[in-house]
Amino acid sequence: MGGRHSYAGLAQDRRFRLLKTRFKRLAISIVVSFLGWYFVYIILSAFARDFMARPAFGHINVALLLGILQFVSTFYLAWRYTRYARRMLDPLSQQLRDEAEQHRAEMENIERIMAERRRIETWAAPPRPARHRRSSGGLR
Amino acid sequence: MTGGHLLTFGLFVVFILITLGVTFWARANTRNATDFYAGGRAFSGPQNGLALAGDYMSAASFLGIAGIIALSGYDGFLYSIGFLVAWLLTLLLVELMRNAGRFTMADVLSHRVRRQPKVRTAAVVSTVTVSVFYLLAQMVGAGALVSLLLGLEGGTARAVTIIVVGAMMVFYVSFGGMKGTTWVQIIKAVLLMGGTIVLTALVLGRFGFNLSDMLGEAAKASGQENFLNAGNRYGREVEGDPVATIINKLDFISLALALVLGTAGLPHIVSRFFTVPDARAARTSVNWAIGLVGVFYLMTLALGFGATALVGHERITAQDPSGNTAALQLAHVLGEHIGGPVGGDLLLAFIGAVAFATILAVVSGLVMAASTSLAHDYFGHVLMFGRPRESQEVGVARVSAFVIGLFAVVLAVVARNQNVAFLVALAFAMAASANLPAIVLSLFWKRFNSTGVVAGIYGGLSSSLLLVFLSPVVSGKVDAKGDSLSLFPAGVDFHLFPMENPGLFSIPIGFLCAYLGTRLSREKADQERYDDLAVRSLTGTGSHTAEGTGRQNGVPSAHSNGSRAW
Repeated sequence: MGGRHSYAGLAQDRRFRLLKTRFKRLAISIVVSFLGWYFVYIILSAFARDFMARPAFGHINVALLLGILQFVSTFYLAWRYTRYARRMLDPLSQQLRDEAEQHRAEMENIERIMAERRRIETWAAPPRPARHRRSSGGLR
Repeated sequence: MTGGHLLTFGLFVVFILITLGVTFWARANTRNATDFYAGGRAFSGPQNGLALAGDYMSAASFLGIAGIIALSGYDGFLYSIGFLVAWLLTLLLVELMRNAGRFTMADVLSHRVRRQPKVRTAAVVSTVTVSVFYLLAQMVGAGALVSLLLGLEGGTARAVTIIVVGAMMVFYVSFGGMKGTTWVQIIKAVLLMGGTIVLTALVLGRFGFNLSDMLGEAAKASGQENFLNAGNRYGREVEGDPVATIINKLDFISLALALVLGTAGLPHIVSRFFTVPDARAARTSVNWAIGLVGVFYLMTLALGFGATALVGHERITAQDPSGNTAALQLAHVLGEHIGGPVGGDLLLAFIGAVAFATILAVVSGLVMAASTSLAHDYFGHVLMFGRPRESQEVGVARVSAFVIGLFAVVLAVVARNQNVAFLVALAFAMAASANLPAIVLSLFWKRFNSTGVVAGIYGGLSSSLLLVFLSPVVSGKVDAKGDSLSLFPAGVDFHLFPMENPGLFSIPIGFLCAYLGTRLSREKADQERYDDLAVRSLTGTGSHTAEGTGRQNGVPSAHSNGSRAW
């Protein structure tokens, strides 16, 4: 993608690295806990059927209870992720984003000024919207 | 047709009229590519959450899981759990993908690679393949279900139903674009949640809101000893054959793996990430989806076990051997209990209309994703090198919707009498084996390159397809009487792979191909673009907003011109 601005410079920023580390740590802890717990449950369902068939309350057995716990743990992990992201990731990424965009705007401004200066120095005519002129001078 | 069928038909027509109105409104409010592909990125988190849930909860999960629970008890619940837990992975990826992409998965994958056209083409191939297989499963199911609801028998009725459903979905997509499709999803999600809540409350009410009593009654009515335990359907133990037992159990684990890893790579889910203004809204929408999907799947427990207890095993299998009509029969029984025959017909008609809405919404979401990918990625970026006029690209998307729809309708009509339920699990396995490795490694692996993406996608896709083709679902599975349980008739047997679910092998193969492709090619990863992608995806800097280009006041890209052209 030709003229797209690159924000790669920010990758070495200390705060960005902190953001990255925090996200990775969070993501890994969540993936390990939910996949681990899910597969413990799946493997119990496949290989520990006597254990899973034990009654817990009335007709509700261990299998069903653990299954419902999977729902609870999913809700809990989603909530934990969201809370952590809101507290520890969002402020940091907001700050970096604002700075990066400000920096980008400044760079573009400098570029525009430089282009203008080059034009003045070389006494070139200011760029005009050629098509527009032709049509206004034509039929109408 | 009886009075009840006429009522059902009337409700179908009402739903169609409402959604047609929405589609016309959406058409009038679609001005540029961002409107068409991403609904103008104007949906709020909760709205998109409803739409995500609407896209995700297919008839296969509403009727299918209730049916599996009704016939096989606890094992159906395992399906629900996989479907829900998978959303945590989606939650972790959604913000990064929303920040890095524009309309499709290919936007994310091609961001940092050197050979964009190859990567885009691979992403299109996988998106379209996954969508078409999933679509086929839904449409064949729709043919059977809708003709049953309307009391029509035979192959012709099924074919006509499939054609009508196909025409509707093509219309929603090519006319209403993402705005139309999203509102159809939202309406459907509200209807589905509402219908399920009503049924659940009625079922539990019959048992004095005592879950244990309901389970006891269900176990009694099922006539199966182990109804509340694992192993009735998945991971079945074969006496005296430890090899077959272990294969069955691994097959079950394979299914679980595909379910939990597939969701984040499903094209119609991924294309929803881009319909919200920013990453935070995307996170909110996934949280809403987790809440809705979770509550919904908990309620399928009541529907399934309730159907066994109140309708009974014989009556369910008499109507449909795979149990897909259990929830509908349950609605009829519950309605009859309250309001006599009229009440039964009313509730059945309502739940039937909900099922119809569910089918239409899911198939249109799939067609939307596939045609976006064909138009934006293949036409826009591969054929036209990223410089088509916006109006041209959207025109191609509208035509693609028609072409994909036609293709799916033809396939579904041909396969209308086959049992193609396995295609849902296959679509999840393909998404997990082809798309997930490419997405995850693009975002997190510094050295990943074009060859790796392409090898991962094609490797994962072809290994899952090949393994299923060589599996007992396609050939060689017979029941006790010698009748075929596979796609091919009895007698044809070329199955070499013993399991029905390829995920356990094809997902590692997908990752391995991506890794080897990267390591074996001479191409060096572009460090600067990787850093750029990392910054963009984690901070949301320069992400695409409603205006099309980004937060910055930069020069608009080639895409955002020409918005007045149509």
